[in-house]
Amino acid sequence: MQAQKLELAIDSIRVRFGSQSLTRAAELPPPQPWSSGTPIDRLTGIGGLPRGRVTLFVGGGTCGKLTLALALLARATHEFAHAIVIDGGGFDPWTLLPFFPELGALTVVRAPAPETAGEAAASLARAGAGFLLLLSEIPEHWLGQLESGANRSGTVVLGVVASPNRALAHASSFSLGFSRVDWSWERGLLVGLRASARCVKNRVAPPLGETELEIRYPLGSQPLPDHHAGITEMPVQVRELSECASAVV
Amino acid sequence: MRVCCGLTGHLELARRPDLYGRPVIVGRWDEHVVAASEETHPFGVVPGMALRQAEHLCPQAVFVLPDEEAVARIRELISAALYDLAPVIEVRDEGIAWLDLEGVVRAGESIRETRRRLLKAVGREPRLGLAPGPFSARLAAARARPGRLLQVDDASAFLAPLPSRELPLDGEQLERLDLLGLRTLRAVAAIGPRELESQLGRDGRRAVLLARGIEPDQLVPWKPPLFTSAHRQFGEPVEDREALLFVARALCGDLADELGLRGAGAKHVRVRLVMESAGSEQRQAIVRHPLSGAAELFGLVGSWIKEWQPSAPIAELWIELPVLEGAGRRQLRLWAGGDGSSEEVAAAMERLQERFGDDVIHQPTPALVTSPVPKERFA
Repeated sequence: MQAQKLELAIDSIRVRFGSQSLTRAAELPPPQPWSSGTPIDRLTGIGGLPRGRVTLFVGGGTCGKLTLALALLARATHEFAHAIVIDGGGFDPWTLLPFFPELGALTVVRAPAPETAGEAAASLARAGAGFLLLLSEIPEHWLGQLESGANRSGTVVLGVVASPNRALAHASSFSLGFSRVDWSWERGLLVGLRASARCVKNRVAPPLGETELEIRYPLGSQPLPDHHAGITEMPVQVRELSECASAVV
Repeated sequence: MRVCCGLTGHLELARRPDLYGRPVIVGRWDEHVVAASEETHPFGVVPGMALRQAEHLCPQAVFVLPDEEAVARIRELISAALYDLAPVIEVRDEGIAWLDLEGVVRAGESIRETRRRLLKAVGREPRLGLAPGPFSARLAAARARPGRLLQVDDASAFLAPLPSRELPLDGEQLERLDLLGLRTLRAVAAIGPRELESQLGRDGRRAVLLARGIEPDQLVPWKPPLFTSAHRQFGEPVEDREALLFVARALCGDLADELGLRGAGAKHVRVRLVMESAGSEQRQAIVRHPLSGAAELFGLVGSWIKEWQPSAPIAELWIELPVLEGAGRRQLRLWAGGDGSSEEVAAAMERLQERFGDDVIHQPTPALVTSPVPKERFA
């Protein structure tokens, strides 16, 4: 009897406010991952960065995580109406130019204090910005709102940190650890590096393992004919990681 | 501004797709030619000339009387079909469809879809041009092959070698340009706007700006009509509720088809029963979220009819939708790749600026990109 009444109430709400006003969670289509066109897509196990989740690139200095994040940001400016950088200070859009961004879609939020960064990230994720790049520390009490806002709108959230605090590590759904393997030299010049990218946490698919990337730095502000900035995957054997921090939830 | 232009030929010609490929001239006797198909151009027929003259030049052409109402219907149909592809669209009777693609993330998809929908609406491949403004986009489209896109990045360089007769001036003004020796847009662009204004008036100033690729004209955005209705008159007055429900369902289906075509939803629904005794009863409601499907409309209308106790047999049933609005599949959402609405993100940024100051949001625009001083690189 109660089920019938519930059905009746649902039907009348749908008639009154439209068929999309009430949707069963089971009927919701799963959000499609955002395909970044980089080797990272394969490492996530779902063919792209997860939407509505927090992704983290972690690693010590000069391990290539920021270059990779900038390449993803440049691509996002072409595919989303809003690609937003939450900057704690020090982000220069000039560093993005070698990756040919669409600057019309780029917005930089200057957040001198973590509190500002947290509020900005949470409110923009809730509003439905397509891509958020976090280059600033986010206070713990904003992480819940950031997660739920992104989850509701399907925002791709990418954080770049040297070592995440416990709360941020817990909030992330996919984390990649970077470590430098070797520098790349050409004609006596430093042109990039080889880095190992290893899945340290994956809550969206079974952990796939690690890969080795060759990251070629942009040299100067103008593209050079014989040097192209970019990220390529080195041919290494993919293997299952037994020591992955967490499994699929 | 980044404008895509689709050229389909005058919409008078689109009324008779059976005559495609044959010389067709549209106009009234003793008046001017309204439209002429491409097949008449080799004979020297152009819109605006006297119809008698056109008949002399091309006697084998099929002559068709103009029908302004039918053309207006086709124009509305095309506007509605293109409505969700760009924030601003404008369609003209001359067979020009402009879409302002500024801000559209996947402009390529919009252009491909424009081609497909124009082909479906008029039955022949449109010529497409993409340029910084409506004037240069139209000229680019005129030079594209059917079904192909001609993209122009530098409008002034593209326009320079074109004849000055492409400017939107009347015959007398064009003749005057010719007498002044201004036969190309390069020549028109080289003189000052005030100098030509002194010769041709305001049009002269506008002509110089157009020739320089400055594009002083803005598109006039098409807006969907905000009212629609459907009704059925019964031969014999009806008392049977089932018959009324049957007719209401059919009317809701018709309205839903129309709403789907416009990309609109009904915000206000009104049902009116006209009685045999000439009186009428009505019931109406404002809904929170726009109704656009037949089931949604009939769910509301049917529930009213089921409990209605009319005072007399019904001679006519009206379903009116006095207030329409976008049905949630509006424009940029379609191409924004999973973003939320731009309005919501812009509002969130404004709230942040209110709280933390204007400097908190920065949208970098290149200034002196090669400057060694980081602050000078972006505005």
